[in-house]
Amino acid sequence: MFRRTSIVDEVKIGTMFYSSIFEIGDSSIIQGFSRALAVQREQETFYGNEGNFNIYPVFTQPIPLQPVEISIPMYTENLNPIIKVNHININGVSVASVVHIGSSNHVSMETRIKHIRQLFPKNKTQSVDR
Amino acid sequence: MNFHVYNRDLSVGSIRIIGVSSSSILMIGDTQTIQLASVFDTPPESLIIGPFVPLARE
Repeated sequence: MFRRTSIVDEVKIGTMFYSSIFEIGDSSIIQGFSRALAVQREQETFYGNEGNFNIYPVFTQPIPLQPVEISIPMYTENLNPIIKVNHININGVSVASVVHIGSSNHVSMETRIKHIRQLFPKNKTQSVDR
Repeated sequence: MNFHVYNRDLSVGSIRIIGVSSSSILMIGDTQTIQLASVFDTPPESLIIGPFVPLARE
């Protein structure tokens, strides 16, 4: 397959964390997956062994996706086979994200996040229990 | 139906991004297929007001 060439003069990335990838060059398949329990508490008490993804349906429910195969024939002509970018400046790349300079074939990314907030009751009449 | 694409000149001066997060992708290049999915859950039940109870363990 005839591909375009990506030319980037300068890239600056401040921080990369949580399974992020910075790739220079072509790839064939990219698959990213992340899940997170985002817990905010009024009191800063966190045990290291808390959290079970399986009890929350948000982490197991199937996501309906469009089929990636297209039925119509597609022809691409690269009259100028160069993608040129002078500068890229990124503050942060996080949680199974990808910064990719180059071409790929198939990209598939998925993320699932569950937010939980735990607050103290203001008074007993307002308290709502789980 | 025929889908014919002509890629002519593509030149970008500068890209400035605050964050690429949660299984996102920034790609300078071409790709055949791309599939992105995201589930984000913040229902009213996720706000727990009451005495502190740790979450279930694995």
